[in-house]
Amino acid sequence: MDLSFILVQLISGLTMATLLFMVASGLTLIFGVGNVFNFAHGSFYMLGAYFAYLAVSSWHTNFWMAILFAALGAGVFGMSAEFLFLRRIYGRAEEGGFQILLTYSFILIIDDVVKLIWGTEYKTLLRPEGLRGSIEFVGVTLPTYNLAIIAIGLLIVVFCWLVLSRTRPGRIARASALDREMLGAMGVNVPLTMTVVFGIATALGGFAGGLAAPLRSVTPGAGIEVIIDSLIVVVIGGMGNFWGAWLGALILGEVIAFSVVIVPEWASVVSYVVMVLTLIFKPEGLFSPRKVRTV
Amino acid sequence: MNKNSWMLLLLVVVLALVVAPVCTMAQEKIIKTGSMYPMTGRPGLYGLDSVDAAEMAIAEINEKGGVKGYKLELINSDSKAKPDYAVRLAKRYIDEDKVHFLFGVVSSAVGLAVTEVSKQNKKIFIGTDHASTQLTTEKFQPYYFRVSNNTFQSMAAGALYLKELKQTKPWETIAYVGPDYAYGHDQWNELRFNLDRFGVSYKIVGVYWPKLFAPDYTPFITSILKDKPDVLVSGLWGGDTVAFIKQAQPYGFFDKMLFFSPDAGGNYELMSATGAELPLGLVLSARHHNNWPETEANKEYVAKFFKRTGRYPTYAAEGAYAGIYAIAQAVDKVGSPDDTEALVKALEGMKIPLPEDPEGFTSYIDPETHQIVQGQAIGVTVPDDRFPPAKRMLGNWKVYKAEDLLPPKGFKQDMIKKQ
Repeated sequence: MDLSFILVQLISGLTMATLLFMVASGLTLIFGVGNVFNFAHGSFYMLGAYFAYLAVSSWHTNFWMAILFAALGAGVFGMSAEFLFLRRIYGRAEEGGFQILLTYSFILIIDDVVKLIWGTEYKTLLRPEGLRGSIEFVGVTLPTYNLAIIAIGLLIVVFCWLVLSRTRPGRIARASALDREMLGAMGVNVPLTMTVVFGIATALGGFAGGLAAPLRSVTPGAGIEVIIDSLIVVVIGGMGNFWGAWLGALILGEVIAFSVVIVPEWASVVSYVVMVLTLIFKPEGLFSPRKVRTV
Repeated sequence: MNKNSWMLLLLVVVLALVVAPVCTMAQEKIIKTGSMYPMTGRPGLYGLDSVDAAEMAIAEINEKGGVKGYKLELINSDSKAKPDYAVRLAKRYIDEDKVHFLFGVVSSAVGLAVTEVSKQNKKIFIGTDHASTQLTTEKFQPYYFRVSNNTFQSMAAGALYLKELKQTKPWETIAYVGPDYAYGHDQWNELRFNLDRFGVSYKIVGVYWPKLFAPDYTPFITSILKDKPDVLVSGLWGGDTVAFIKQAQPYGFFDKMLFFSPDAGGNYELMSATGAELPLGLVLSARHHNNWPETEANKEYVAKFFKRTGRYPTYAAEGAYAGIYAIAQAVDKVGSPDDTEALVKALEGMKIPLPEDPEGFTSYIDPETHQIVQGQAIGVTVPDDRFPPAKRMLGNWKVYKAEDLLPPKGFKQDMIKKQ
């Protein structure tokens, strides 16, 4: 393995990791703030891809407007789902079970609605003008669109960090993760916070879907394809840990990228191996503080 | 007319209205076929096309008066492409719906599960679109019939193509990428078996097994580029092929090696999904093509499907269409859909004229393996916008004769050296 190939493979892993992170970050945000495991998060990713396709094919918008529309559309749908349905099960005795049933039913419903509207044929979106080719860098070929995805991913990380750590809404979101009742007692509208956080998280998923559409197959069921790997990322990083999701995605992306070269026959199982090892040795996730176990 | 007479007349009319349809229903004899196609996710298009084509065939036959006084009827339930679920479905079809035939399935994993139900219940299973060769070799059972080519046939055609290619474009190194389950592994094993059988020399430089329905192939693509094969054989299908091609394109991948996918890579869905983005010069095939052979029968079939559904068919459609005609011909010969053993005899060796038959050839079912015998045409992507939204179709065909593609007698997967 020479150095230039290592660089190429690193970038491959990074592209994969960035898209994984964008989906997983929303998943972990909802879990961290609202203690909701949103099984249907991948479906909002898929909705984003279809919304971007709709904007480009029917309204002939430019690609970047389409991606923004994808995020907005998925966010609005996410907020509606939280406001109309999920809110009704908060605090119930068997909330966990209800969450899984309810969000799983979202997957089935969203898949069928997408199929009714757009059919089962694969849809395609072209890469935006100016990002269709590649650049040569120290003798290796790097597609410009993949590099753009990585850059956008970094911007999102920085932006989320600023919002979560430096702004009042960010502090409210973090406080909500720690103690919702106390936050309510201090006069914060907690239900509204939950709806907005759900909207932001699903918008991130939709954004990822739109961004991935030129690279992947836009088809009903696309949500299921990403949810498993995103779940693995969340487990590695720690459920509800935003930074964990980023580092978890980087680890998973790079592990897959290099296992393809080193142990190609095992490439499809390495992600599960990483998850199992994490669960055995640090079940809280690699980047969450170790819990003190009391007997 | 007094009051009682009026009442009597009324009663007669009511009875006539109620009983008459029942009588007609009782007289209408039905050939019931229970199909199990996936209707969701990436394979959903295969399921939808199959059901539409089967219903098209049924409408054609029923319009002409059915078969020996019977009308055909199809019941379909979503198999979810899951073997255990499809097995429950098949049992329900047999026990509750009393179907005469089990029908369909896209995934080979589902096919291998359903053929066991068919065997135990002695119920004929018409396989329309799953390609694992095992179903007609080591897993053969007398009640299973397949009406589309299996992977051995397409890989034999692929090996012959690669052999001829040596004359015009010498190649030596080869790499493979295919989904990590029976279908992907069968293709790779059978291609090597056939290359060896036809005396073709080759050197393997890379073998890759992504997950079925993987969203991201970038690390595989960059690793294959490092291997620098002359030929990349792809066993991917459907949305996986679409995603792989889209992700590989900006690397200049298709200028650096020959992309070769002789089983399912050339399915129409790829052309319709990628439009003008689809690179030229890829060598692909599928189990049916909308633009080959250019016979009246094929043109008519494609046009009828388009008229009915508003889209052009993928290859899965023709398999289902063939399956319904096989059932109709078998019942026509036997006279009833209830005599299973006679139907098995009727299907063995049956000739079925199909849209994919070139001039002078009729598809037929091999009486020994119950596998349909058909040729295979392999083509190259060329500009062609006759089947929108596709902007590319296959052309520059090379056609391989059906009899040259059959496995040797007694062929089994474990005869192939594992790689």
